[in-house]
Amino acid sequence: MDSQMMTGNLAAAWGARLADVDYIPAFPITPQTEIVEALAKWCERGELAARFVSMDSEHSMMTAAGAAEVTGARVFTATSSQGLLHAFEVLYAISGWRAPLVLVNVSRALAAPITLEADHNDVLAARDAGFLQIHAETCQEVLDSILMAYRIAEDERVMLPVIVNLDGFTLSFTREPVSLPDPDTVRRFLPPFRPSHLGFTASSPHALGVAVIGGTPYAYFKHQMHLAARNALEVHRETADSFQALFGRRYDVVEGYRLEEAEDVLVMTNAGASQGKAAVDAARAQGKRVGLLRLRMIRPWPADAIRQALRGRRAVAVMDQNVAPGQGGILYREVAACLYHEAARPGALCSFIGGLGGQHLSEGMFHAIFEQTAEAGVAGRGCGPVLLYSAEEHREMTQLQMVAGTVGRDGR
Amino acid sequence: MVAVRFHGRGGQGAKTASRILGTAAFMSGYVAQDCPIYGAERRGAPVAAFTRFGREPIRERGAIAHPDVIVVADATLLDDVAARVLEGADDRTVLFVNTSLSTEALRAHVPIPLQVTARDVTGIALQQLGQREAISALLGAVAARLVGLDWESLRSAIGRELEDLGLPEPVIQRNLTVAKQCYETVEPAPLHKGQGWTAGTTSIHSPAYEPPTKGTARISAAGNSVLRETGGWRTFRPVLIADKCNGCWLCFAYCPDGVIAMNRDDRPVVDYAHCKGCQICIHECPTHALVAEREQEGGVAWTAK
Amino acid sequence: MTWQRETFKKIKQIPREEHVLPGTALCAGCGGLEALRLAAKVLGDHVVYVNAAGCFTMLAAYPYTSFKGSWLYTTMGSAPAGAQGIRDALDILIAKGRLPQGEDVKVVVLGGDGSTYDMALSATSGAMNRRLDFYYICYDNEAYGNTGMQLSPATPYAARTATSPCGLQHPAGTAQEKKDLFEIWRAHRPPYIATVAPRYPLDLEEKFARAAAFTGPKMFLALAACPTGWLYDPGTTPEVARMAVETGLWPLKEAINGVVTHTYIPKRKPVEAYLRLQGRFQHLFEPTVQTDAIRHIQERVDAYWEQAMQEQA
Ligand SMILES: Cc1ncc(C[n+]2csc(CCOP(=O)(O)OP(=O)(O)O)c2C)c(N)n1
Ligand code: SF4
Repeated sequence: MDSQMMTGNLAAAWGARLADVDYIPAFPITPQTEIVEALAKWCERGELAARFVSMDSEHSMMTAAGAAEVTGARVFTATSSQGLLHAFEVLYAISGWRAPLVLVNVSRALAAPITLEADHNDVLAARDAGFLQIHAETCQEVLDSILMAYRIAEDERVMLPVIVNLDGFTLSFTREPVSLPDPDTVRRFLPPFRPSHLGFTASSPHALGVAVIGGTPYAYFKHQMHLAARNALEVHRETADSFQALFGRRYDVVEGYRLEEAEDVLVMTNAGASQGKAAVDAARAQGKRVGLLRLRMIRPWPADAIRQALRGRRAVAVMDQNVAPGQGGILYREVAACLYHEAARPGALCSFIGGLGGQHLSEGMFHAIFEQTAEAGVAGRGCGPVLLYSAEEHREMTQLQMVAGTVGRDGR
Repeated sequence: MVAVRFHGRGGQGAKTASRILGTAAFMSGYVAQDCPIYGAERRGAPVAAFTRFGREPIRERGAIAHPDVIVVADATLLDDVAARVLEGADDRTVLFVNTSLSTEALRAHVPIPLQVTARDVTGIALQQLGQREAISALLGAVAARLVGLDWESLRSAIGRELEDLGLPEPVIQRNLTVAKQCYETVEPAPLHKGQGWTAGTTSIHSPAYEPPTKGTARISAAGNSVLRETGGWRTFRPVLIADKCNGCWLCFAYCPDGVIAMNRDDRPVVDYAHCKGCQICIHECPTHALVAEREQEGGVAWTAK
Repeated sequence: MTWQRETFKKIKQIPREEHVLPGTALCAGCGGLEALRLAAKVLGDHVVYVNAAGCFTMLAAYPYTSFKGSWLYTTMGSAPAGAQGIRDALDILIAKGRLPQGEDVKVVVLGGDGSTYDMALSATSGAMNRRLDFYYICYDNEAYGNTGMQLSPATPYAARTATSPCGLQHPAGTAQEKKDLFEIWRAHRPPYIATVAPRYPLDLEEKFARAAAFTGPKMFLALAACPTGWLYDPGTTPEVARMAVETGLWPLKEAINGVVTHTYIPKRKPVEAYLRLQGRFQHLFEPTVQTDAIRHIQERVDAYWEQAMQEQA
């Protein structure tokens, strides 16, 4: 196995290539575009035996992706932000067809106002679409997660599509060493795609995505999707075992970082978790007993693993890189819900919202988070949602508003 | 609270009838509620609509599970499993059926001992209005009388609802005249008003995962729609006068549902289990070999099995 | 030069076998279903239909399907993209030896006019531009039918729909002109485009038979007279379709690689003969006759045919 420097986007493209996909419908959007550019090139050169098609929109792209998958091809596609939302209704169609394709989403904040950098409102908007969701922290994990995603998705116990998420810029355009798995070993890890319930052929016609009038069949099929998604927890564990045995790297549904004897725990996702880990190291160096829990699998929601990691802590802080206006952080309430029945639930649960639209999370910001969390733990009462914004950022914003003519020189 | 459930086929006016009753009750000073339920609003397919009224605020919503009165716009519905006409009915339920059969003849077909009233509303409509499907005002009138509402409220309710549908004044006037006639052909019925229903506890089935072949919304029995009979949609059936037929195939060519097959002698054979009664074949037959015969409601559907 | 039918010369050549079976939930007398049934007689059963949202969604309603072939429901705006995915996947699987050639199926989009003229236009344009090998059947009932007859871009001038009512501001109802989809399609130069009306079954069958010779997009615009939405007695569906053609309002034509031929040249009855048949145009005659509106419709048909005949000559 050899390592090379590559971006998260290139790693995603390699994931698709090593999974030996058959079909790639595509549409450009920053910061995802590199992925499909790489795949287009490889298909053209014959390095990947897949058909690459430029579609007229993400809505069409997702429809073509799902339709090819239900015909029996292994399909890969990628998008981001506006593109994901443009295809939104199709996501529900694809999961309803039980079409196990893999979609890479490169997180980018949603307009308006327009921006290019990451936050997670895009991918989390799709959290109830019936796709499984794996959120990656490193470029290596992007590649590995795509391979794992196909194996989990195509398992008869699951048969649901998967979104693998990576952050725009901080991962998509960031190069770091990535070890490329050996194609033959990948073939051993990932069996060929031969779904029993899919395929349009002359000899065995069937109708798919049919109307169901009345709640009885609808509820049945939706229950099945829920049960299939729950099965993915066990299938993920088996897949992780097998991946570890073949490639030596292990990924679980959540990742604990310095949780041993941690009083307070910070919960994060995606690439920002790397900075969180650095902040934990710094705080530990100062004698603070803090740790980090990274949520890797968002759907199905790994409630047991989260409970197990957080039980008995003095305080827990959930860092949401998203905002549900009028509610707060999306992951905060999911974490809170799964801790409710935990007898030894943390003494305080704090909500922080930061990193919106690529907003920088400074070391100092993490200090502030740890301090407020510790105070909340001592007081035995949670806090938040705290909208993370530094005094420095506020000053800068006022300057911009003066230029924009939306405040006077006196700052009012 | 009085609960009235209307069953009809899309286009017959069950929904409007339920609105007429709702408005009439409202105008009589009751608290009232009405709503329809339909799959994909299609002419001829079974639909249901619900009207509730009473003196107290109404807390129920949606379908009526235990109706005091069931109004059936078309007797063929009694035999259509999908229509679930008799669901939740017991011997205290009042059943009204629009049919040309007598009450006794009908009772022989209705499996449970309901209080049955039968009138030929379609016959009246055909005679007086000259249209085959405009019976909403007439059904509303029958229902209003059965539940004891007065004519004046009903009159204004019919006026309002038909005007809302955009019907011209002369048509509304004609409807009112015929509605009055229907109103007077029935008597107010004794109603149990929802008394005496107690619900047991539902046993909850906890679903288990099933393989995607089974657990996906898909159909692998291609062409199985033939299992669903649409013959009950008809008001008129096409009947062949064999010696007039010149074997031209036009009825076969134009039938949208493909329910006409040409036999070896080039004569059409109609699949009555599925013919919806659109009458295209009757209109297009160049020699008038196909004629329309009014269904003996219920009778035909029952013997067609 | 008159257009000649080569395969379907006599009505008794219409195949006996049915491919879209009865028991559907569509309205009695549906002109769209008439067109589909006839088309399917040529297309056969080795087909996958890709359906947009619309009345035809009801053709496969759990646990029943009317199709002897396959069917996939997509969305209102992306059925042609679904066709793209399926066609591509079939090609790939065959090329990779995972699907025997004999298992191949034709890919046929089914969409109403609302879907086709509006929301799915981008997806259709894309599919044509990519030269996708598929059939597209648009059943044109000139409104959003499934939702209860609202204005679509295919609704003709002066038709009354639920969202283009007639009143003081718009005494004629719909103010727009019907979008010319045939020409929009033709600008993409697909190998085959045709308009059809099921009242002219041999013309319809012939066109589907001819289309089979072409690889690439084969586009059909089918008149779907709709008793429920156009407000006429279901038994007169063929008569309404006949009048649409005989007045010249629904030209029967084809375009092979962009070259247009009218396949039937009507003597052109006055448009009134068509309008009077339907409730959706009744306000043009009652309570007073809207002479200007009727003349406007007549003038547009006349202009169309004048130009068409010049071009054809
Ligand atoms: C994105 C989206 N918007 C709206 C609808 C609701 N809808 C379902 S069918 C339909 C009408 C479609 O009209 P048309 O394409 O003309 O087909 P028809 O109903 O006449 O068969 C609409 C608006 C939908 N299914 N999807
Ligand atoms: S509304 Fe019109 S197009 Fe739709 S099923 Fe009924 S007749 Fe056919």
